Amino acid sequence: MKSDRLREKCIPYLFVIPAMLFLVVFTLYPLIYMIYLSFTDWTLVSKTKNFVGFDNFEYIWQRADFLNALGNTFFYTFWTVLTLMIASILFAVWLHKDTRLNSFTRTAMFTPHVIALLSVSMVWSWLMNEDTGLLNMLLQSVGLPTSRWLNSSDTAMGSIVLVSWWQSVGYYTLIIFAALQGIPSEIYEAADLDSADPINRFFRITLPMISPQVFLCLITMTIGSFKVFETIKVMTAGGPGKSTQVLVYYIYITAFSMQFKIGIASAAGTVLLIIVGLLTILYFAFLSKKVFYQ
Amino acid sequence: MAKIELRNVSKRFGNTTVVENLNLTIEDGEFAVLIGASGCGKTTLLRMIAGIGPQSSGQVLMDGQDISDLPPGKRDLAMVFQNYAIYPTMSVRGNIEYGLKNKKVPAAERNRLIEEISGILGITEYLDRRPSQLSGGQRQRVALARAMVKKPKVFLMDEPLSNLDAKLRSHMRVELIELHKKLKTTFVYVTHDQVEAMSMADRIILMDKGTIQQEDCPAEIYNNPCNRFTAQFIGSPQMNILEIPGSEFSFGFRPEKIVLSETELPDKFLQTKGSIITKEMLGSETLYQLGFDGISIMAKSLTDRFDDNVYFSLNREDILIFDKDGKRVYSSDSRFDSVLEKVGGMKK
Repeated sequence: MKSDRLREKCIPYLFVIPAMLFLVVFTLYPLIYMIYLSFTDWTLVSKTKNFVGFDNFEYIWQRADFLNALGNTFFYTFWTVLTLMIASILFAVWLHKDTRLNSFTRTAMFTPHVIALLSVSMVWSWLMNEDTGLLNMLLQSVGLPTSRWLNSSDTAMGSIVLVSWWQSVGYYTLIIFAALQGIPSEIYEAADLDSADPINRFFRITLPMISPQVFLCLITMTIGSFKVFETIKVMTAGGPGKSTQVLVYYIYITAFSMQFKIGIASAAGTVLLIIVGLLTILYFAFLSKKVFYQ
Repeated sequence: MAKIELRNVSKRFGNTTVVENLNLTIEDGEFAVLIGASGCGKTTLLRMIAGIGPQSSGQVLMDGQDISDLPPGKRDLAMVFQNYAIYPTMSVRGNIEYGLKNKKVPAAERNRLIEEISGILGITEYLDRRPSQLSGGQRQRVALARAMVKKPKVFLMDEPLSNLDAKLRSHMRVELIELHKKLKTTFVYVTHDQVEAMSMADRIILMDKGTIQQEDCPAEIYNNPCNRFTAQFIGSPQMNILEIPGSEFSFGFRPEKIVLSETELPDKFLQTKGSIITKEMLGSETLYQLGFDGISIMAKSLTDRFDDNVYFSLNREDILIFDKDGKRVYSSDSRFDSVLEKVGGMKK
């Protein structure tokens, strides 16, 4: 009897242990280790790790390049999330009608998401080439002024946003589209009978009905944008100047490229962690009440 | 209050024609029930009237005015959907209010209307709840309230009771009948449930494959079906219909018209002996499946005392005759008497 009950109690834990182990080894441990490292002066070339308190945090806070990276990250995140969100909702609503063209468009729009970001970045680097790129050639052919794209500090960040947008918009459109599919058509018919105009219908019925998915997209978009790296690394390497240097890229060059300052990079990583955590908490605090769960 | 007319309406979905050149008039203040098996086009008709599934061709008129091209919101009618189609993101009050707000009804007037209607339907205490917190019956009332608050000229209902349990359904049935009496508005009600149709309708419109088979008051539909389809669709168990040997006609009779007896009865038009195959005791009545000469028929009786072999007989006036196309042959028809004689000669 007793051993039976013990077994019954243990079995559920046995089932979750593999997942928990994975989480601890690959997520929790590195996270805690990073926080620990942010309080040390460790560099990849030194053998000792000395505890230095908040020195690393004070150091980065006084560094213009860190603050610049922070500002760039916010800029990138703001514009990426804003344009992605609006565009994916609009595209999803537009593609909602079931026509043959739309089902093709849905598939086509999703395709960029399955291409490796690295390849996407390479292709767009070429497309955006100031002298030989296709984009400028197209602009020229219709008589529009060309852009310097990645070569000017004014347009480089915008260009990166554009590439990320192009790569992800199909993915988020698909999520919102699936949510739209879940709204029963009778509800719209009832709204028609209630003389709802399209705008009113969208804000009073459609948007609340898809709010859980919109909320999910908002959080994943924000977190994803804060972690932007590949596009920057391949397309601009943080340049021109430091106009496209973002947090993760800053961490990367501080830790692995020439400087090897792991302690300082870890401090920057910890700041990133705190920002993303805070933003997520803010989202939940202010928006989750507006999200409608059935 | 309004009269609805459908003139030569057709509805096509791609290559399939669901309804073709149908004409129907629903009188002002009438409780009209559209009934038929699934896919017969009854809901299609309702959606045409509502304007949410417009006709491919033909006209819809309300009080003589062509409303064919009017959007649903401007047709001055309200609809109750099978699954209620309540806005899940709004409170009960929000649901009832939505149509009024869109029509720019002032707030004071809105509140007065909501109070009035929710009082009638007994949902005042739920006004601030979410639909997900309501039971099926309460949701049904919210859907009704949302329709009633607009004070429409016509109520359209698409199987509104089909999602309720049996007890609540019969309760709501009575409430709807009372509501119709109180409002004196035109009701167009779609159902596949003949009990609902029989109990509620002023007029039943029976449909099959996109055409109207018969439209009449419930008693006429039951007692005087104009074809085999109507005869067998309405009534449970369905009407027995047997072929007349050596003729292209058939004859039918309701299960409850069969008189069961242990001994032979005198003065019966048609009488034979058979065996009881199955017996279903339903409480107030008993259903028997009777067999004779390899034929089986259903009989309904108030007693359950028969067990084995019985005599069953029919009176002359309880027999209906149908021709080879399934059309009713009425007693005024010249062929009626000769056919009936053949029936009488079948078995004594």
